[in-house]
Amino acid sequence: MKVLVVEDEKGLAESITDYMNKEGYLCETAGTFREADERIYLYQYDCVIVDLTLPDGDGFQLIQTLKKLLATTGVIIISARNALEDKIRGLEIGSDDYLTKPFHLSELNARVKSLIRRRNFGGHTEIRFREIRVNPSSRKVYVNGQLAVLSRKEYDLLLYFLSNIDVVLTKVSIAEHLWGDNIDSADSLDMVYSHIKNLRRKLLEKGGSDYVRSVYGIGYKFGEP
Amino acid sequence: MKLLAKTNRIYLAFSLAIYLFAGLAFYQVVRILIYNEVETRLKVEKRDFEAYLKQHKAWSDTTYFVENKIDVVPVGRQTRLSETFIDTLIQNRYDQELMPFRQLTFYVPIQGEMHRVSIRKSLIQSYQLIEVITVTMAACLGLLLLGTFWFQGKLSGRLWLPFYESLSRIKRFNLASATPLQLDKPEINEFRELNEVLRKMGDKMQQDYRSLKEFTENASHEIQTPLALINAKVEQLIQSEKLTETQTRWIEEIYQASRRMARLNQGLLLLAKIDNQQFTNNQTVDLAALLAEKLNAMDEVLLHKRIAVEIRNLVPFTVQLPPALADSLVANLVNNAIKHNHAEGRVELASNGKNLSLGNTGNALVSNPERLFERFKKEGSSLDSVGLGLAIIKEICDTYGLQVEYAESNGWHRFDIFRKIGAD
Repeated sequence: MKVLVVEDEKGLAESITDYMNKEGYLCETAGTFREADERIYLYQYDCVIVDLTLPDGDGFQLIQTLKKLLATTGVIIISARNALEDKIRGLEIGSDDYLTKPFHLSELNARVKSLIRRRNFGGHTEIRFREIRVNPSSRKVYVNGQLAVLSRKEYDLLLYFLSNIDVVLTKVSIAEHLWGDNIDSADSLDMVYSHIKNLRRKLLEKGGSDYVRSVYGIGYKFGEP
Repeated sequence: MKLLAKTNRIYLAFSLAIYLFAGLAFYQVVRILIYNEVETRLKVEKRDFEAYLKQHKAWSDTTYFVENKIDVVPVGRQTRLSETFIDTLIQNRYDQELMPFRQLTFYVPIQGEMHRVSIRKSLIQSYQLIEVITVTMAACLGLLLLGTFWFQGKLSGRLWLPFYESLSRIKRFNLASATPLQLDKPEINEFRELNEVLRKMGDKMQQDYRSLKEFTENASHEIQTPLALINAKVEQLIQSEKLTETQTRWIEEIYQASRRMARLNQGLLLLAKIDNQQFTNNQTVDLAALLAEKLNAMDEVLLHKRIAVEIRNLVPFTVQLPPALADSLVANLVNNAIKHNHAEGRVELASNGKNLSLGNTGNALVSNPERLFERFKKEGSSLDSVGLGLAIIKEICDTYGLQVEYAESNGWHRFDIFRKIGAD
């Protein structure tokens, strides 16, 4: 899987690349419009992450070129502008997702994974982690072959964990993933806790292992026990 | 009052005064001339009379047959011997009508006895003359007045046309649009200069507006990007296995501070955008339905805090708002009602079409309710609030013809939104 990160802020581009490389993607960066333009002509990417404001050009233009070259490439916009018009315009010219800065790397990662899943297999692929099996098209979860009935939020939470295995996820990032941006944090952190508790219980009931670990109160980690 | 109406009015008043004065003066001049004429003739007749006396040494009325022409009366001893002119009315012999006369009275001795002699001349013809002259003149002056009034109106209407044209274009001028202020080049120098100055001002204003808009956008971008960087680095940092618990706590605090700063920045940016009226795509939205929808979407939090929601009388409350701001308004109102609520509290939404109210239970207010809508005004010192929610609510309401009021009694907080009087 090849991913191109178009972002002029070097530190941020580096963090994204590191994160993506750890997830097993082949990740390249481009700091300017010209560089990005060159790369999309030369290589094929499964997913391109584009910052809208580049020092020497407009991210929208890049997306348009990209869509002309290879329409199957997934596009995720990352922008500091939280403007509705930008989001609509981005979707109109063929981008798949829009993330407003500052965002969580784990959130970006989950979106990239979900995008690639949709692109490559039309969503008809199962996500497996040991005895857990998730069918994204029917939104059903099986543990040891047994159906575990999860609520909508519990399902979203599990999928978020499965997209970021062995990664510490902050409570805030989980809350924002589940409820979006405008939710009161004190309440949502409590709610994150209770959802995690319920999810753990439901997985354990079907004979699964306990994969969720709390990390010093800053967040949670899903992975090998 | 319109400029043309004002000049017309002044012009009318001034010319009326002038014409009135001219008319009166003319009348007086004509009158004086006629009197002079009559009096000269009376004096000639007096000389004729004295010549007759000298010749005949006596007076007989029979010489004059014209009625009221002369009157000779013996007066005996008389001290006043002066000559006087007076106006008098004397009855006509045939139809009992009073006729105006000019009369010259003088005293003369006839055959040793003092007599008062009055010679008269009828003024009836002169009066008719004055009347005819006056009427003609009034008619002429009136016509002249109307004519010049009409002409003046037409003329100034035409002269000021470029001015009114410019005025209407300035009224239609939109600062936020990309089209510059376009004004004609009229042939009148003053107007041409005025338009030139206005055009320059318009261009400058648009340029300033654009740079201000760009500034807020760029500032937001410049702040959000380093915040994104902090966020990303913190996320990478916490993946490290070697951190101690204290270090993790520090990182957590850095992380929270950066999240807060991001929210603060977004809030301030939103306020600046509303201030600059950068939202222009007004649409008809039903705030009552939107609020109900929002409350519904927040069911999880409400359930979690065991807050009961009561929706009564949901009559549509339609307003003209950009959808993004309607969403922000509703989200802030609902968030506020939930955040400052206590467990097992209540939220109540009601709308009667004129007044939309959202009430919630909560702790009694500590700060001054008057200052609640100010920026950075926080109830308590909660860490997860940046204190811009109510300021945003107020700013949106103020900008779009709505009024928001807050009332609190016995732990029941209520926000009322209604249309400002005079606003659509």
